[in-house]
Amino acid sequence: MKNSAIVSVAITEWTAAGSPTPLLIDRLAEVAVKALREAKMKPGQLDAIIANTTAIPFDNKSYITTSAQHFAHRLAERIGIKDAQCINVCAACASASIAFALADSLIKTGSIKSALVAGIDNSPSGFYLAGQSVLDPDPYAAVIKVTGATNPSYWAMWARRRAYEMGEPIEKIKELMAFVKEMHSVYGARNPYARYKRIFSTKDVLSSPVVCDPLHLYMICGTSTGGGAAVLMDGEIAKKITEKPVNIAASTVGGPIYGEPMPRLRVFSTVGGKSAEKPFKEWRIPIERAYKLAGINADDIDIIECHDTSCFHTINWIDQIMGWEREETDKLIEKKQIGHDGILPVNLSGGTASFGEAVMSQAFIMIHELFRQLRNEAQERQAKKNLNIGLCTAYGAYGAYGCIILEKGW
Amino acid sequence: MKRKIPIIDGLFEWPSDNPRLIGTKCPLCGSVQFPKSSVCNNPECDHSAPLTECFLSTEGHLYTYTVHHYDLPEPFQYHKGPYIVGAIELPEGLIIISKIRAPNEKILKIGMKMRLKVDVLYEDDNNAYLNYFFEPVISE
Repeated sequence: MKNSAIVSVAITEWTAAGSPTPLLIDRLAEVAVKALREAKMKPGQLDAIIANTTAIPFDNKSYITTSAQHFAHRLAERIGIKDAQCINVCAACASASIAFALADSLIKTGSIKSALVAGIDNSPSGFYLAGQSVLDPDPYAAVIKVTGATNPSYWAMWARRRAYEMGEPIEKIKELMAFVKEMHSVYGARNPYARYKRIFSTKDVLSSPVVCDPLHLYMICGTSTGGGAAVLMDGEIAKKITEKPVNIAASTVGGPIYGEPMPRLRVFSTVGGKSAEKPFKEWRIPIERAYKLAGINADDIDIIECHDTSCFHTINWIDQIMGWEREETDKLIEKKQIGHDGILPVNLSGGTASFGEAVMSQAFIMIHELFRQLRNEAQERQAKKNLNIGLCTAYGAYGAYGCIILEKGW
Repeated sequence: MKRKIPIIDGLFEWPSDNPRLIGTKCPLCGSVQFPKSSVCNNPECDHSAPLTECFLSTEGHLYTYTVHHYDLPEPFQYHKGPYIVGAIELPEGLIIISKIRAPNEKILKIGMKMRLKVDVLYEDDNNAYLNYFFEPVISE
């Protein structure tokens, strides 16, 4: 098997969502060219363009998909290709992570030598609802109709269950989530690409309106528009292009498993009963597989970027990534050890908390941050400790998961 | 008198004095699904037999819940905050998402016994739309 590495990553500024922005394909082409230039590559040298699709709503029953579902091909038209495979990947909020994993796999098998992974999204605003298609009813529209359960309802129910299983009052996890927001906002303020620059105190967060108890408004990410691009290469070629290639130690993809005890987003019911011993098994599977592929274990992880659609996600991701008892996660956060000077920096990008969610393109924030952190290029956000290995995790509706482990390649 | 109709067909028995949720069960491996499905979902099953319709237990335990404080916009505007959404663990092993009917959320405790109730979710000029809910079993 070949090695693969990232030679460049670029992201756009994250901006407000829910209304038309400058043409997305123009913004995508711009950020793709930025990544190609950093990689000192011409589009003609690419073997593949792999893009995430988008969450942009369809708005007329007689329109055949939106062109935003075909960004790989449209980007190829814009920047020009000679002989590149064009692939679009759809996996809810984990889309970009899975596009990245696909590029990594194609390089590792020797099928291609280089790939541009790119994507951009403009999210729906507010609660992500669902409409009934005239041709194929959306089961989630039925779930909302019957249960009134929005995405934050599920996150809130997970948070309450965690508190219950730990035997703790709900106020404890509420405060912990508020503190996570405070920590993330400190780094968002230092990130020129982040949309939200305000630093929130724990008190600010707990004073914001309750959306779904125990989740307050500022514990839930906003909805944004933004995107990014990364150039991936065969490991040997990457070394000739840059002095600081970031190796892809592993990239994995997960799915909705039978027997997951925790109701996943947008479902009426769990499937298969509680055959897993601990909840969130399907969150752990791609992580455990990535550790195996990379030949490492949780103790080797120096820095984490995790998909924090809510502050509960950050807490849960640390539980699942580190494989600790939950009390260990809480202690780490309470002792302020997830900052740039902490034992285990988490979301020094500022996280989705500071960017807002450009649904399908979120992984670019995390990949960009790990790339800059490992190369010691994160400026004011740079972790103080010596970094060798970073891990990022993506989470999406319908049981979409991705995990990427990056390491210094020099 | 308005016509009472289920908000979605096929989720629960109707008309019925004691409606139950309708699922499917695989005659080979026993895997139960809600709502109904046309194929078995157990990865260890060979999927060689058609599923049979089954009725789910009407009592379970509260696995977790939340109070949703915001109204939903149209066409879901009848979900007016605050309302309670919960997850009910049934003896079949499944955990079902449901609106919870309770005098107030303070009486809810994870692990408490809950019972199915089919009731009106909302009405328009002509119809009353029925839905399934779970409510706490306070005392027997």
